[in-house]
Amino acid sequence: MNDRGMSIIVKTITGPVKVLIFLFGINVILFGHLTPGGGFAGGVVLAGSYVLLMLAFGKGYAEQNLPTSLASRLDCIGALLFATVACLGAILAGSFFVNFLYQRYLPGRLLDLVSAGTIPLSNLAIGLKVGASLYLVVVMLSVFGKDTADKV
Amino acid sequence: MAYALCLLLFMIGLYCVAVKKNLVKIVIGLAVMEYAVNLFLIMLGYRAGGVAPILTRSEVGPKGELSDIFVSRAVDPLPQALVLTAIVISLGTLALLIATCIRIYSRYGTFDITQIRRLKG
Repeated sequence: MNDRGMSIIVKTITGPVKVLIFLFGINVILFGHLTPGGGFAGGVVLAGSYVLLMLAFGKGYAEQNLPTSLASRLDCIGALLFATVACLGAILAGSFFVNFLYQRYLPGRLLDLVSAGTIPLSNLAIGLKVGASLYLVVVMLSVFGKDTADKV
Repeated sequence: MAYALCLLLFMIGLYCVAVKKNLVKIVIGLAVMEYAVNLFLIMLGYRAGGVAPILTRSEVGPKGELSDIFVSRAVDPLPQALVLTAIVISLGTLALLIATCIRIYSRYGTFDITQIRRLKG
């Protein structure tokens, strides 16, 4: 495992930096309804931290950390959560995607973290979905490369 | 003038798609066309001296009222949201195109579209 991936300099720096990138992604997702960013941008940053791990330590290490089956499941959970939030609006308040939490259950003050009803929940779902599926895209593209070497 | 430059960028992408014979260059041309359209939409929403349509503490008064500067100068967020969605979709299509290109290369051993002619089962 040690001889895979990049040089010792890149591996050493990747250690702390991947944590910072991951936390920044979570920050962008959680504050998506207050500041620029949101589910998609935060999800891309989350996926970026795993892509960095993959580039620095090799594909096997990243797949040990986040197996493709787990990433696929997270992907589906994100989509399901988003659909659930949308359908709950239809069930509880009468129409699809309506923000049913905002006035009735969770009044919240302007510009607070817990203030926008279902929007942070949707952001969370989208972040999960985008992060997992972008990671899967990169993994699948590298699988294609290996496939080629086997066939030709 | 700026719209004409947008059109020029779009035409560069179209030229690349229509004339180049390398698959990767065709994909790059498609991406350039997407960027030209995104730039056009963003420029439609441009407003001289406008502020970003994002509320921060400085724009909200103690009782939740908006400041006059924000109300009179905030730009329209619709083109920006539209372009963000378009960027997401173009990311998906780009991944699909690249995967297809890799598949084609693994089967034919070349990116040249004039040599990818035989049907192989």
